[in-house]
Amino acid sequence: MIVFEDVTKVYDPDVVGLQNFTCHIGKGEFVFLVGASGSGKSTLIKLVLKEIVPDSGRILVAGRNLGTLRHSKVPLLRRNIGCVFQDFKLLPNKTVYDNVAYALEVVGEPRRSIRRKVPEILNLVGLTEKTNSYPHEISGGEQQRVSVARAFVNHPPLLLADEPTGNIDPETAVGIMQLLVRINRTGTTVVVATHDRDMVNRMRRRVLQLDAGRLVRDERRGGYDQVADVEAEGVLT
Amino acid sequence: MRLGFFLSEALGSMRRNWVMAMAAVITVFISTAILGAVLVTRDNLNQGATSLKNRVLIEVFIKDEATDAEKAALEQKIRSIPEIKSFEYISKDEALERFRKRFGERIVQNLPINPLPASYEIQVKDANQVDMVARKFFDDPAVDNDPGTHNGVKYARETVRKMLSTINLIGIGMWVATGVFALAAVLLISTTVRLSIFARRREVEIMRLVGATNWFIRWPFVLEGFITGLIGAVIAAGFVWLANWALANWLKSSDIDFLNVRIFSMCWQSGSWPAGLMPTLAVLGAVLGALGSMVALRRYLKT
Ligand SMILES: Nc1ncnc2c1ncn2[C@@H]1O[C@H](COP(=O)(O)OP(=O)(O)O)[C@@H](O)[C@H]1O
Ligand SMILES: [Mg+2]
Repeated sequence: MIVFEDVTKVYDPDVVGLQNFTCHIGKGEFVFLVGASGSGKSTLIKLVLKEIVPDSGRILVAGRNLGTLRHSKVPLLRRNIGCVFQDFKLLPNKTVYDNVAYALEVVGEPRRSIRRKVPEILNLVGLTEKTNSYPHEISGGEQQRVSVARAFVNHPPLLLADEPTGNIDPETAVGIMQLLVRINRTGTTVVVATHDRDMVNRMRRRVLQLDAGRLVRDERRGGYDQVADVEAEGVLT
Repeated sequence: MRLGFFLSEALGSMRRNWVMAMAAVITVFISTAILGAVLVTRDNLNQGATSLKNRVLIEVFIKDEATDAEKAALEQKIRSIPEIKSFEYISKDEALERFRKRFGERIVQNLPINPLPASYEIQVKDANQVDMVARKFFDDPAVDNDPGTHNGVKYARETVRKMLSTINLIGIGMWVATGVFALAAVLLISTTVRLSIFARRREVEIMRLVGATNWFIRWPFVLEGFITGLIGAVIAAGFVWLANWALANWLKSSDIDFLNVRIFSMCWQSGSWPAGLMPTLAVLGAVLGALGSMVALRRYLKT
């Protein structure tokens, strides 16, 4: 689903974002991207979205080479990638319903199927009662669930989450993570950047660890740290 | 294109950002109103100038003692000058008849002979050529000049020259003003739109992340600019029309007699309204608004 081949991204002055990074993420995988703040997690996610372009190396997403993808095709790429961010990125002037519906309007979904799909997905994330609320009227956890709903309403083959639980309390965070797991079970590849140690340790999924832009660890069923913290195993899986 | 969706996005955003929308409407209103006023003024002055030019006559008086051959040569000369639009021969009898109508029977009755000369009334095609045409008759043997003068040829020489140069000057000034205000309108509108889009740049970023194409993002903004421009321009056109109508009426009913003002009011009395100004202003406002949105969005839509 995602292939990075020797990708390097250096930001303007001389800051390393990603350095000689190579990895393969297969269809249907659930991958944690861990590492200290500034290690290059967001850089990786932005590269996949073609928000930024690498200085060297090759990136393939769903078989498409991003280096040769025309600018006009970037929106098409993004429609096939659901995105969840730490700051939710909801449209502040739209209701919960309209925020989710926007992702469907964008792809030209018929009005009738929008009316069917949006309540369905809002029910899935447990926000039926908040359908007509505005983002500022609901809690952070609820906003993040709206953002997950928007990311998944198209049933994209790939879902990226950049610190999805960074701004919400731990209990709510578990709920969000469970949602992502459920989405992964439908066959969607899920990549989660996080430095939520407990979460990663509990879930025992594939872990890619970054340090100063370099891949320092790729473990099949890893924990947050090099030596797995076994205590909290299997709570969610 | 999903016009319904885009329209409701545009209207919704105008309702939410109504302060900005008002500012944009007022901006368009002010600039198109000024533009409209300039255009109407120019049109009125042009009309005035044309009607003044049409009134410029050259009168060529004929000596009573001129021979038939001299008279025929004079008429031949008039016919041969291409700058002359039309001419009319006023015989001594007709001249007397006009005089009688103007000053009354009593004066004419006491005249032993008819003292009025026959004349030609000549209209030229272009008022700027009055002087040149008139000169051609100065030394004609058939013309009734007092010795050493050219008083057998009469035309409003100084007045015409002053009037024309004034009108030409005003015309140039109006073109300059039109250009300046059109430019100001574009700048004002694009600044207003840029401010309003700057306030919403996060929204644009989110739309892009969700996979909206540039045109999908652009349409609501363009429609918003279009509607804003249209409203501002239509109000402006109505405003200018009313002002024009009021001014024309006021000038008609007042009798100011200072020379310049009289000429001015003569120009304006028609209250002339340039054909198609209303739709032109409306379309201009709408297009300016839409273009302003597109220009202002450009930097947020670079992929
Ligand atoms: N737009 C940018 N301009 C310059 N430097 C940047 C930019 N974005 C990120 N960086 C730098 O690149 C490095 C990696 O950042 P990032 O990928 O955001 O890390 P993470 O998401 O793991 O915290 C950091 O040193 C950061 O300061
Ligand atoms: Mg980050």
